[in-house]
Amino acid sequence: MISLLQATIIINILASTVRIATPLLLGALGELVSERAGVMNLGIEGTMLMSSFVAFLVSFKTNSLILAVGAAILTGATMSLIMAFMAATMKVDQTVTGLSLNLLASGLSLFWYRVAFKETFSGSIPTVHTMGTARIPILGDIPYLGQILFNQSLLTYLAILMVPVIAFVLYRTQMGLSIRSLGENPRAVDMKGINVTRLQYLSVIFGGVMSGLAGAFITIGTTVRFLPEITAGRGWLALVIVIAGNWRTGRILLAALLFAFLDAFQLQLQGIGIQIPFQILLAAPYILAILVMMGSRARSLSPRHLGMPYVREEG
Amino acid sequence: MNPFPKFKFEKREDVSPVGRILAIIFALIASMLVSAILISIARASVSEAFINLIKGAFGNKRAILETLVKSTPLILTGLATVIAFRGKIWNIGQEGQLFLGAIGGYWAYRTFAGLPAIPLISIIVLAGFIAGALGGLLAGFLKAYFKVDEIISTVMGNYIIEYFLSFLLSGAGPWREPGSYYQQTAPITENAYFPLLFEKSRMHMGFLIALACTLVVYLILNHTPLGYQIRAYGSNPRASKFKGININKIFIVTMLISGGLAGLAGAGELFGVQYRLRPDLSPGYGYTGIIVAMLADLNPIAVIPAAILFGALTNGSAQMRIATGVPTALISAIQAIVLLFLLSAQVLSRYRIRRVEHCD
Repeated sequence: MISLLQATIIINILASTVRIATPLLLGALGELVSERAGVMNLGIEGTMLMSSFVAFLVSFKTNSLILAVGAAILTGATMSLIMAFMAATMKVDQTVTGLSLNLLASGLSLFWYRVAFKETFSGSIPTVHTMGTARIPILGDIPYLGQILFNQSLLTYLAILMVPVIAFVLYRTQMGLSIRSLGENPRAVDMKGINVTRLQYLSVIFGGVMSGLAGAFITIGTTVRFLPEITAGRGWLALVIVIAGNWRTGRILLAALLFAFLDAFQLQLQGIGIQIPFQILLAAPYILAILVMMGSRARSLSPRHLGMPYVREEG
Repeated sequence: MNPFPKFKFEKREDVSPVGRILAIIFALIASMLVSAILISIARASVSEAFINLIKGAFGNKRAILETLVKSTPLILTGLATVIAFRGKIWNIGQEGQLFLGAIGGYWAYRTFAGLPAIPLISIIVLAGFIAGALGGLLAGFLKAYFKVDEIISTVMGNYIIEYFLSFLLSGAGPWREPGSYYQQTAPITENAYFPLLFEKSRMHMGFLIALACTLVVYLILNHTPLGYQIRAYGSNPRASKFKGININKIFIVTMLISGGLAGLAGAGELFGVQYRLRPDLSPGYGYTGIIVAMLADLNPIAVIPAAILFGALTNGSAQMRIATGVPTALISAIQAIVLLFLLSAQVLSRYRIRRVEHCD
């Protein structure tokens, strides 16, 4: 009996790990593309937050999860369009721009929430249906593994699928080569006659779309209600995961799973009712983030031109 | 007034002060237009909302003093940002350091509760500074010796401190008011109250501390070797390395001062305004301080009017909400929009200089 209980707990933790990793992975993969193109988007926390709110709002108003996901994608694209405009066109300091996007999302999502649910407030807290899980037919029946990997949300499958897709695009296609070159030596890309600004816009907006999906997952993927600051640092963790993953897709997947595992583990501990103050458990991912940063001193693959605006030389 | 050192980017001095001021004015006007749109979305009268906002902030003597109360922490977190950002050291941890200051102050209050008011309050102020400074110091140390990006460490720090405070105030924690339903400490005793500056207002001596700190930060930045080094590093990190400046020392000392200033803001809010420690001690004064500093163009003296402006918005928004139903969160959104417009406007006035700066 005990071993059965233990097996259940372990499966539970691992299944939660995959679920919790979803927004981290989506955000980190998007950020990877953006950073490879030389743009450091510190605004993904805000992009996720704004998208998670819009997804919630659209889902509440229309009852359509597809529309909600679409709206989250659009929101992510819009937020990152601001980032791309400031970074690639205006060539503003990317750090401050990213921070202002986060502040914008904090304020705007709360403002909009209060405005949109003014009437509802007197009654109950507004809730929506979540996407739930989509069991993959045959694979889902595999003992243990099926429960862990193949009984997840559609967005989770998408996130995992994006790992090889992004790896392929970055390393096996002409466009991927150009994107990677942008982060290393934008002048060389420019001299090959490729439109640097356009490619940076594309990369940053792709990152925003991924953050938008991550945001959608955080609300309508898992939670029935919206809370201010519901993303709770997951966008920042995604940034840490890109660094911990040394800007490579496979390692990013591992890093995302590591952070998610820690979170899943502490959730389980809380569930069991272990005598540790739960706030310390909640703080664990952020403490791990700092430790990971201390450990990853060798950042060999950090794009050399990351965060620096490219300005064409003029004769 | 231009703070930039002469050895590399003289061209920066070409940016006329008029250009800078125009950029700020543009940002404020553009943000007002966006506010008007947001207020309309909230289905309220724009003019009524603006009038109530201004009345709430400056309508009478009491409102003006309350605006200054709200700007006090913003001056301090703004200065915390100025000194760090001047050196391109991206301390984003003002919010957490503010709470550390409150935690440190409260710890000192409990430890030295028996003392008379003057020594007790002095110790509380000192403890608030030190606690915030330790938070900054840790981030500076991690950056100097472990190459941990200070943005990440300070943001993570904000979350960690939030949970730490939540633990201190939880049922299992040591500071929870006995029998209270809420996460809060018992009210502090009157001998620890920061002295009030005016009758019938909440304006406390923290405002004077903030003014004094403004002067100190101005002097540090403009009249000390440390200030010179911070500015030199900020305008060209690579060149400073070759000039033999001890960069690690700059990270650590700057972060220490920056954290300490934010810590003072936290102690002031606890012992001057709220009189008990709660998780909602700050409605984001740390983050707003970043915008205050940017609006002040990272000039310590200009932090005061910028902080008063945002203090006024925060203060006036309460009356705006009561009169028109527009949520006070409007102000947080607008602050970020001010920053975005400001960044774009500044670029337009600096464009030529930026070009020179980034060609290497």
